[in-house]
Amino acid sequence: MSDSAAELLPVATPARTRAAAAELLRPQRSLAVTAFVVMVGATAVGLLTQPLLGRIVDQAAERASVDAITTTAALLVAVAVAQGVTTGFGLSLVSRLGETTLARLRERFVERALGLPLERVERAGAGDLTARVTADVSLIAEAVRNALPELARSLLTIFLTLGAMALLDWRFLLAALLAVPVQVATARWYVARAVPLYAEQRVAAGAQQQQLLDTVAGAATVRAFRLERQHTERVTERSWSVVALTMKGVRLVLGFYSRLHIAEYLGLAAVLFTGYWLVRQGSASVGTATAAALYFHSLFTPVNAALVLLDDAQSAMAGLARLVGVTDEPVADRPQRRAETGRVDVVVRGLHHAYRPGHPVLHDIDLTIRHGERVALVGASGAGKTTLARLVAGIQPPAEGTVLVDGVPPTELGGPAASRTVALITQETHVFAGPLVDDLRLAKPDATDDELRAALDRVDALAWAEALPDGLDTVVGDGGHRLTGDRTQALALARLILADPPLVILDEATAEAGSAGARALEKAVARATDGRTALIVAHRLSQAATADRIVVMDAGRIVETGTHDELRAAGGRYAALWAAWSDTRDTRDTRP
Amino acid sequence: MSKADLPGRHVLRGAVRGQRRDVALGALLGMGHQTGEALVPVVIGLAIDEGVVDGDVGGLLMWLAVLAVVYVGLSYSFRFGARAGERASVTAAHHLRTALVERVLAPEGGACEGRLPGELANTATEDAKRVGAVAMALIVGIAAATGLAVGAIVLLRMSVPLGLLVLLGTPLLLWLVHLLSKPLERRSETEQERAARASGVAADLVAGLRVLKGIGAEPAAVARYRRISQDSLTATLRAARAEAWQNGVVTMLTGSFLALVALVGGRLAARGDIGLGELVSAVALALFLIGPLSEFSWVYAELAQGRASAARIAEVLGAGHAVRAPADGSALDRVEGRLRLRGVSYDSLRAVDLEVAPGETVGVVTVDPADATALLRCLARRADPAEGSVELDGTDLTTLRLAELRAAVLVAEHDADLFEGSLLENITAAAGPDAPVEAAVTASGTDEVVGTLPKGADTEVTARGRSLSGGQRQRVALARALAADAAVLVLHEPTTAVDAVTEARMAAGLKELRAGRTTLLVTNSPALLAVTDRVVLLDRGTVVAADAHERLVHQHGTYRGAVLA
Repeated sequence: MSDSAAELLPVATPARTRAAAAELLRPQRSLAVTAFVVMVGATAVGLLTQPLLGRIVDQAAERASVDAITTTAALLVAVAVAQGVTTGFGLSLVSRLGETTLARLRERFVERALGLPLERVERAGAGDLTARVTADVSLIAEAVRNALPELARSLLTIFLTLGAMALLDWRFLLAALLAVPVQVATARWYVARAVPLYAEQRVAAGAQQQQLLDTVAGAATVRAFRLERQHTERVTERSWSVVALTMKGVRLVLGFYSRLHIAEYLGLAAVLFTGYWLVRQGSASVGTATAAALYFHSLFTPVNAALVLLDDAQSAMAGLARLVGVTDEPVADRPQRRAETGRVDVVVRGLHHAYRPGHPVLHDIDLTIRHGERVALVGASGAGKTTLARLVAGIQPPAEGTVLVDGVPPTELGGPAASRTVALITQETHVFAGPLVDDLRLAKPDATDDELRAALDRVDALAWAEALPDGLDTVVGDGGHRLTGDRTQALALARLILADPPLVILDEATAEAGSAGARALEKAVARATDGRTALIVAHRLSQAATADRIVVMDAGRIVETGTHDELRAAGGRYAALWAAWSDTRDTRDTRP
Repeated sequence: MSKADLPGRHVLRGAVRGQRRDVALGALLGMGHQTGEALVPVVIGLAIDEGVVDGDVGGLLMWLAVLAVVYVGLSYSFRFGARAGERASVTAAHHLRTALVERVLAPEGGACEGRLPGELANTATEDAKRVGAVAMALIVGIAAATGLAVGAIVLLRMSVPLGLLVLLGTPLLLWLVHLLSKPLERRSETEQERAARASGVAADLVAGLRVLKGIGAEPAAVARYRRISQDSLTATLRAARAEAWQNGVVTMLTGSFLALVALVGGRLAARGDIGLGELVSAVALALFLIGPLSEFSWVYAELAQGRASAARIAEVLGAGHAVRAPADGSALDRVEGRLRLRGVSYDSLRAVDLEVAPGETVGVVTVDPADATALLRCLARRADPAEGSVELDGTDLTTLRLAELRAAVLVAEHDADLFEGSLLENITAAAGPDAPVEAAVTASGTDEVVGTLPKGADTEVTARGRSLSGGQRQRVALARALAADAAVLVLHEPTTAVDAVTEARMAAGLKELRAGRTTLLVTNSPALLAVTDRVVLLDRGTVVAADAHERLVHQHGTYRGAVLA
């Protein structure tokens, strides 16, 4: 419900990001050094090509023997072979370095992301973490796979080529460097415009994708309400804004290349002129001048690549900063206490809570749930049922008052201990992509097939699960077989049985199904919570009616509590609700 | 295969033809650019020959000036050619995207069947982009052919043997590279798929974060992710190693070819058959020609991808309609609201007869939810009955224009989606100028939702209404259905996600607002059924009882089981 500006997850500073990158690389220091040395070797060997070509020019000018020319050509072949081998070896080392580091980064990120307190993720908005795990990770992967090796290779080529030109004659280097100011200015000009533009492009592309999903997924609704024109217009508008921004980017890149053409021409003309001058002076041969010109000509590709990739590298760094921001989030220093006895009871005393100051949601709640008791919470929306459920589940600490689960505040039941004590199932469901058995085993990794079947059977899900195309091995979830809302929720209940916690909190866990599906789910809920202490937020009274005790809430307070029969006899709020719900005078015999 | 190719080709051709002016301009300028690129090594050779070798500053300056002209020419033609090409690509993609959305939203339906929304959205973005990119690929292909031709002419004029060597050698070289890399490519493709899994699984786990935390499955999830990530890593490393060695082999082959050209050229120059400058040009041209030639394999790959994407687009665009709409259907003047099903059999329904008088509120209770779904599909004309007919005011629905039918009969399904926009925009999405919006908001209990939101009715709803809770979403959806003020309103389980108090209020509000207008409530909720005039019970696809709710509750066991269990 927090609607104020979302408090996004942190982003690491540039210095911290660099340090984190270094930390990630540290375990592979020797691999990094080897890769670097091999790549320098490969580039250096390749640079022998131009002087050898120059030598052939000289030999031709001197009318040298056929054998001499053949020898030089053979040397060229040797250079090519050596360069090929070292390049292949060097690149595979570079990719091993990059990929292993990337794997370590994503594993660490997922571990930390899943460890974040739910309340923290909610404050940031659900999209923040998802965007980081998808967009930022793939941004970095893309960079590690393509941009970084290419960038490293280009930079090596550039520096070594300039060095080689200096070896030919230092004046060639000076001539070549004439292009540098233009290139530097161009790169600055480009990056200053490209970074915000690409950010804008990503936003527009995201908005377009969002609109398409919105429209396509809701196509049936669009048709029913005859909103076709409106939605086509919305998609067209977003698509067109992507087109406009893409063209803006294209113009920018092309302007960038035009400027680089100027640099190319300036440098080339200067190198040729230097060659003329040095040959005339007698301090260089025509072959040397040729080699210098060829060197410079061969710089075009790596220089352009390096300048373009700077931008990729920069956005990868920004993505890394967002990932490091999460991996650096301090682990909540929870005193990992264990429940005191095996008998789980819940004691709530003098509880007050507010999400926003001045807007209290709960007032003065006192409630005890005995071990093994099933309590149903009933009340209108906004009565505070969900908040009470969240506080008992330990999603966040109460503003005032105490919640004790087996004598320990649930927020302090840190880590795995908490999961063995309390489970929370809400109407927000998810089917994990992959085989159905894998989904279930998340709740109990070492469960046998028989245990899985038994759990499904208890929630009446075994029949349909076995009828899936590949039975329990059917790939479900995103990209796989789609399950309906009530099946998804039945799956959640099967997971609950497998996780087997003594305390269960169910928040409108049957809401997503239609009435008929909801009834089947209610039976499943009854079986899944059998033998556990349970707090059930029920919006269907038939579910409340079967609980051991019913707690009626209104405007953040508990107004009635008792069994179904007691409350009906009392003729209070619950009795009125029940009458409205069943609309009959003698429903006693229709209770399940 | 060839049959599936045909409609795809039609899409491809249409996309390019639609942008023919930009494609032609891009191709023309691209040719200019490649000619310029081919001339640069030639001019370098001439500058060395007539400037450096001869020690003639005038000659050098002249050729440097020519080089400047070549540069200006190639730079501008590249700039504007590429711009035209990109414009053609993105515009073509945009048109395909809108065409796809129009087809998906077409009142006749049928394009969504068997396709996930994500998949369709992907076709509208990625596939459309790939088909558009074919325009650019064509331009690049034409330009590369030109560069090749210019290089060929220059080389052959220099020396026939050297020219032939370069011209025949370069394609041979590329063919060798292609041959060598083919198995590597094939292997790396499957491995890339495996490699991509790691990111997909990570996103999926984060999406299910609440569920994981709810049952304390984080450690199990982290362990699983680590396993998948390591598996991905192994696959990626294999693919990357293959690619690295492919790269090495290409370097080796290119360098050796260059050595061969230098050897032949050097001998010719030593014999005086060609000038030194020509030797330099030949070597530089051999290097240059690898560029346009390898563009061909890129163009080929783009075309192949474009064809595959075009086939997917064609499949969606050509998807059969779920229902047939008459071109000149009967018009509806004033809708009375008499609804009649005559012997309707469809899916799980068996010869259902049902009549709803104008202004009546009728409940439909189904023992099996599949019967409800089938009934709703027929009423909304998302499908037509296999047998029998559905009539509105005595007219068969299949003879009515779909837009008019849906304006008259609104079927609001249980899982109806909200859309991006403010709460009020959602509610009034289908409301006419004098629609009872205010009353719809109150009757649906949306006033409470509005009251709890900080910005009230102006609160922005995120895509598909996910920023609202299930109960809030359901009330807003009902408000939208009521505000549309249709002559016949069919509501499917409109209160499943709200509490009993609110449901009672909604039932009362509904009765009042829809008084005198035909309303069908397909629900098993007693609170709603209590406000109907009468209820029809469907069991095993047929009508088994029809009476007032109260009487059925007391007298009909199956009914009681379905409604009050």
